[in-house]
Amino acid sequence: MIHSYLYLSIILFCLGIVGVISRRNVFTVFMSIELMLNAANLAFVAFARVHESMDGHVLAMMVMAVAAAEAALALAVVILLHKHKSKLDTNVFSLLKG
Amino acid sequence: MGQSVHYLGLIPLFPLMGAVFIGLLHVFTCKNAKLPEKVYGLLACVGPVLSFVMALKVFFQLKALPVDARFLSHNAFTWFSVGDLHINMGFLADPLSCLMLLFVTLIGSLIHIYSIGYMSGDKNYGKFFAYMNLFLGSMLVLVLGDSPVVMFVGWEGVGLCSYLLISFYSEDTNNVLAGNKAFIVNRIGDLGFVLGMSFLFWGIGASGFDYLSLKANIHHLTPAIALTVCLLLFVGATGKSAQIPLYVWLPDAMAGPTPVSALIHAATMVTAGVYMVARFSFLYAHVELAGDIVAWVGILTALLAAIFGMFQNDIKKVLAYSTVSQLGYMFAGVGVAAYSAGIFHVFTHAFFKALLFLGAGSVIYAMHHEQNIWKMGGLKAKMPKTYLTMVIGALALAGCPPFSGFFSKDEILFSALATGHYGIWAVGLLVACMTAYYTFRMIFVVFHGEPRDQHAFDHAKESPAVMTVPLIILAVGAAFAGFLNMPGVQTVSHWLAPSLTEHHPHASSFVLVFAMATSIVAFLVGIKIAYSKFGKGAAEPVFSGFEKFAYNKFYVDELYNAVIVQPYKAVGSSIWKTIEPNVTDGPVKAVTRLYMMIGTAFKVFQVGYVRIYAIYMIVGLSLMSLFLSQSLN
Amino acid sequence: MFAHVLSVIIFLPIIAGLLLLATPASRNIARFTGMIVSLAALVLSLDLYMGFQSTGHLEFVENIPWIASLGVSYALGVDGISLFILMAGSVLLPMVYFVFATKEKGYYANLLIVQGAMAGAVCAADMILFYIFWEVMLLPVFFMLGLYGGPKRLPATLKITLYTIAGSLLMLAAIVYLGVSYHAQFNEWSFALDKMAQLNLSGRVAAVAFFGFMIAFAIKIPLFPFHTWLPDAYTEAPTATTFVLSAIMAKIGVYGVIRFVVPVFDQEFARFAVLLAYSGVIGMMYCGIAAITQKDFKRMLAFSSASHMGIIALGVFCMNVQALTGSIYQIVAHATSTGVLFLFAGILEERTQTRTISDLGGIAAKAPVFALYFAIAMLASVGLPGTSGFIGEFMIILGAVKFNTAVGVLAGTTLIIGVCYMLWMFQRVFFEKATPKSENFKDFSLIEGLAFLPVIILIIVMGVYPQPFLSKITPSTALQFASAAPVVAQAASATNAHLPELTIEQK
Repeated sequence: MIHSYLYLSIILFCLGIVGVISRRNVFTVFMSIELMLNAANLAFVAFARVHESMDGHVLAMMVMAVAAAEAALALAVVILLHKHKSKLDTNVFSLLKG
Repeated sequence: MGQSVHYLGLIPLFPLMGAVFIGLLHVFTCKNAKLPEKVYGLLACVGPVLSFVMALKVFFQLKALPVDARFLSHNAFTWFSVGDLHINMGFLADPLSCLMLLFVTLIGSLIHIYSIGYMSGDKNYGKFFAYMNLFLGSMLVLVLGDSPVVMFVGWEGVGLCSYLLISFYSEDTNNVLAGNKAFIVNRIGDLGFVLGMSFLFWGIGASGFDYLSLKANIHHLTPAIALTVCLLLFVGATGKSAQIPLYVWLPDAMAGPTPVSALIHAATMVTAGVYMVARFSFLYAHVELAGDIVAWVGILTALLAAIFGMFQNDIKKVLAYSTVSQLGYMFAGVGVAAYSAGIFHVFTHAFFKALLFLGAGSVIYAMHHEQNIWKMGGLKAKMPKTYLTMVIGALALAGCPPFSGFFSKDEILFSALATGHYGIWAVGLLVACMTAYYTFRMIFVVFHGEPRDQHAFDHAKESPAVMTVPLIILAVGAAFAGFLNMPGVQTVSHWLAPSLTEHHPHASSFVLVFAMATSIVAFLVGIKIAYSKFGKGAAEPVFSGFEKFAYNKFYVDELYNAVIVQPYKAVGSSIWKTIEPNVTDGPVKAVTRLYMMIGTAFKVFQVGYVRIYAIYMIVGLSLMSLFLSQSLN
Repeated sequence: MFAHVLSVIIFLPIIAGLLLLATPASRNIARFTGMIVSLAALVLSLDLYMGFQSTGHLEFVENIPWIASLGVSYALGVDGISLFILMAGSVLLPMVYFVFATKEKGYYANLLIVQGAMAGAVCAADMILFYIFWEVMLLPVFFMLGLYGGPKRLPATLKITLYTIAGSLLMLAAIVYLGVSYHAQFNEWSFALDKMAQLNLSGRVAAVAFFGFMIAFAIKIPLFPFHTWLPDAYTEAPTATTFVLSAIMAKIGVYGVIRFVVPVFDQEFARFAVLLAYSGVIGMMYCGIAAITQKDFKRMLAFSSASHMGIIALGVFCMNVQALTGSIYQIVAHATSTGVLFLFAGILEERTQTRTISDLGGIAAKAPVFALYFAIAMLASVGLPGTSGFIGEFMIILGAVKFNTAVGVLAGTTLIIGVCYMLWMFQRVFFEKATPKSENFKDFSLIEGLAFLPVIILIIVMGVYPQPFLSKITPSTALQFASAAPVVAQAASATNAHLPELTIEQK
């Protein structure tokens, strides 16, 4: 039973990774990251259920809180980015190129 | 044992304090209110005269002592003491230093008095006397020091004063260069002196580094070390006393004022090397080879300088080369272990050479600072006192009996003959002949014949009494000082005997008479040639061939310049233009370059796209997870 | 005299400097604070000097546990060796505030901090504490050079900082190694100096640790071939920094060798002494010869300073009491002579607006007092008897002859090399005819003359009557050889046997 949840979690996580890597729109990348976080949450909750421990729940709640905080910041950053270059293409922001 | 007397330390202190006092006065007044020259003149003479009085006191006190306990000492304070090394600021007056003391202070005082007249009108009058006093103080430290290290203080001090006084007219670059040359060449000698002292100290210095302890322990020194020490100390002497190969500075040193040439570069400082060898007679007497080297270097210098002296046109250059030549004689004397003969020649030479220089100064003063002898002539009539005294000096220098130079020079030649150094004797005889020639060449050209420069001749007049009186006193010394040590009397030799380790050769009276007779013949031949060429007036010669070669001093200066000075400079500039940026800085630059290369290599990975960084992260995390899962199984 | 006098000497300037930086003080307030604090430090140091007992051991010891779990303690103390370096700093630094009146606030504040840090490095008796002061010493130099230096100051700053930090890190590694070794051998943690000396070190790792220390100190001294930062830094730095670098900081490198390397690594030191001695003597000749062709007098003095440091370092490597004592005496003598020469060069630069030797001339006639002071300092720097320079130089040459004849003879050439460049410079700057730039050169004012007078008198007194100073140094230097005597004696005879191996290690 647990395996199904874990497979779902893995699939979601991989989708997130592919999203981060392949998409160039900042919003899409951000949404992919959220997807990965939720995949992790799913795994936490599943394991918590199996081991009958509250630790997993606690962590999941924690991740959700952090994700909310992060979303607030990230959206602010995205707005600034858009103001700066009028674009949300990640390839435009390559100042760290060596 | 000798006595400890406190006033020994005062002897050098008087002139030193005079130097400080006059120097400060000069520094504080030279800008605004100038003090009258008389004040400086009087102040300057106080120190030397007081020292002379003290020297007399030392002499009489020594004389009252029994012969084998004739020394006075004074230990002022512990100078420095580390481990085995104990150096006291101590002074020692024994017959040898007493003799030096007497004539240094006497001639020093006379030259100070003379300078009052000679330097009048100079804008740095005060500075001149401060340096002169400083010189005299240092010279007295040199003479009175009771250990080589204290002697070295005076040794360097006189070198410094020599530098300062040669470059006294410092606006002219040539004078300053001459001063630099003197100081640097002297320093080469000083290197030998310091190393000699070091070897001596590690040999026998641990049980006392003053002359008396050294003398007592000298037999502990191994022959190899003894020879090394002798030769190294002699290197020091060649620097200070202008011997081959370091003689080159002395002729240039004539750029200084004439009283300086008389006092420092003729009578006192340049004889310090001879004094030092005599001081170390207890060492040199044990090492025959070192003595022979000293003697040969000395006599060859005498020959070389005499050759140069025959073809110089500058009156001071003639005298300078004659000084080098006479110093060579002195070294020949101390080299053949006739220390008292060498020192006696130092003593008589101080009188007649100071006299000749001061006389030359008087002539130069009268001719308005003209030094070329071919611009002079016929001055006999205008300057009778100067002429007369200079002739006495010339006779003494040329070795005419019974003037002082004859006895002292003859004593050296006789000693060479009696100890079997026939080569040295023969060269010495040749040099004696040449000396008579160039001395009287100078006298004839300057004082006899017709005036060559009528205008200067008309304005020439006898110098003031403050200059001529010292000349006359020195002339008396030059004429009669020789009798002190004439064969059969030997007062000076007996006086010096307690200080020197010396064995008087027992030679037959035939050798004595033979040596004297040959000396007189040499003198007569020399003066005869000089008279026949220049006695009745002669035109300025044009040098060619060998004469020109000798006039240019065999191009030794040019040789040193090409072989030592220029390469030294080239190495210096190549160090900071080539070696420094490329070789020593190379590793530093290489490290920087290495960092840059590594950075460039890693730059490839920094593409700047967030996605790619995410891939790196994922790959890295995957590899770590893989590794972890592998290691857990 | 009170219990924590050393701490006060160290921290009073540091705190004053930090306060100045933190507050909006004007430059005049900064200068007067500097003056007062440095004079206070001078008074305390003089008091310390008077109370010094010459036992040869550390005196005025303060020891407070600091990081107890690692055995690090706040331990201070002075002996005859450190006392004189401390004194040199305290005596010389007040002059700077009197002579340079119109500098920035940060200039004076940094000077204060560096003074305290140097005192700390000299007094520290714990390796970690020493390391901390050693690093703190560099910071003010970095700021002063970078902020107030000459036109080419940035490369010079970068070079000196990287060089010194590279050396320091090697030293830190070596210190940690020593601490770990001590724990391994005695089963307790300690970095105290006297405990480190009991360590029994051998083998390759010990040699590596030895070079860790040696390179750090060699860079600071600087020893050939680690000197390349020096000409740039000395030339570009503001005068006071050059003065601090040459007069005191370079000496702390030599001091480090005496205090840390010799007691701890006695065997390695004896093994490599010949190599190090040659490095010192070659550096002396190399920099001395390079000095003669310099066109910039500050750069010439920089090379001259490096040349003298070679001789001073040589004295330490000769392993006999005369050379070591001479070396410490020469440290003070050199601090007074070359340090003052750098200050004079700064004055010369300020008044003529040039550093090129050939632009100057005839200053002796324009400014007799300045010329007299300069000449005395110059003569001391060439080691004329009767000035402070002679005593140390003579003893170092004497000791070097004993240690190794060839080294001794080469060391002796310093007599000639030094006089060549100094006279050459003196001739062209002070003698000859005045040039347009030097025509209106102003002589010292009364205050300047009086500010330098004590040092000039010190130069003469130290040359004429050195024994009172030496009697404070000698017990400590003699002790160095008393404890290490067997090893040094055995190694001194075996130095030549080690030579081939030593060259291999070098590669």
